[in-house]
Amino acid sequence: MKLRDETAAPDHHDEKAPWVERETLVEATPEEVWEALTDEDRLEEWMAPDVELDPVEGGEIAVRDGDDGRTGTVETVEEGERFAFTWSRSGEGESFVEFTIQALPGGSRVTVVETPVHSAATNTAAGSTAMAAGGWGSRLARLDRAMRFALVA
Amino acid sequence: MDAVFDALADPTRRRVVETLARGGTVTASGLAAQLPITRQAVSKHLAALHGAELVTASRMGRETHYKLRPQPLDEAAHWIQMVSAEWDDRLEALRRTLEKRRGRSN
Repeated sequence: MKLRDETAAPDHHDEKAPWVERETLVEATPEEVWEALTDEDRLEEWMAPDVELDPVEGGEIAVRDGDDGRTGTVETVEEGERFAFTWSRSGEGESFVEFTIQALPGGSRVTVVETPVHSAATNTAAGSTAMAAGGWGSRLARLDRAMRFALVA
Repeated sequence: MDAVFDALADPTRRRVVETLARGGTVTASGLAAQLPITRQAVSKHLAALHGAELVTASRMGRETHYKLRPQPLDEAAHWIQMVSAEWDDRLEALRRTLEKRRGRSN
C-alpha cells in the first residue's frame, strides 16, 4: 500500500520543544561564562581537547576529541546571553546547540539545548516565547513520557 | 532519525503513539474511537508515523492495520540519553574550569 504524508506541511510546528535540555549553576558572572563558551582556548579547557571557533554568526566551529570530530556553523552570538551553533559528525545528521546564560545572585545559570536540526528551526522562533511562558518544563515532561514508551514498547 | 524526532514533535502524534504502545494492532477507526480526533486526522498522523517508520501498515480486507515499531523509538530514546549524559559531563567540566579560575583570581 501507499501512504502519503499529508501532515508534512509546515503547520502547527509551534508545539515543538528541544529534545535535550540541561543546565548547571556556576559561581561565575555571565561575562566569565561567555568567555568560557566562546573563546576557543577556553573551550579546550572543558568541551574537547581540540576546538576551533570563529565566534561570529556564520563562523565555523570544529570540535575534536581523538577520533571523534564534529564541525558546524555559528548561528547566534548575543554577547553575554546566547550562543548557538549547528554541528554534525561526518555523515550524520546535524543538530542545533544553544547556550543561554542567565545572571543569578552570586553566579549564573547556564542552559544548553540540543535538538536534531529539522526540529530546531522552530525552536529558535518559538523557544523564547515558550520559555517566558514557563511552558518548558511541562513540555519536556510530556516528551519524557512519550519517550518512556520506547523503553516499554 | 530526524524524521522520527519530527514525527514525535507533534503532541497529537505522541498521543497516537501512546495509544499504539498500549494496544498491539489497530485500525484508523479503532484509534479514532479512543482519541478526541477525527478518523481523517488519525489517518494523517498514521501516515506521518509510517513515513518515519514508526508504524508498520498491513492491509486486511478493506481496512489497514497499524502496529508500532519500537526500534526507532528506542533509537530516539538512546540519542536523548546519550546526548543528555554528554552535556551533563561537559557542563560539569565547564563549572569546574570557571570555579577553578575564580579561585585563582581571588
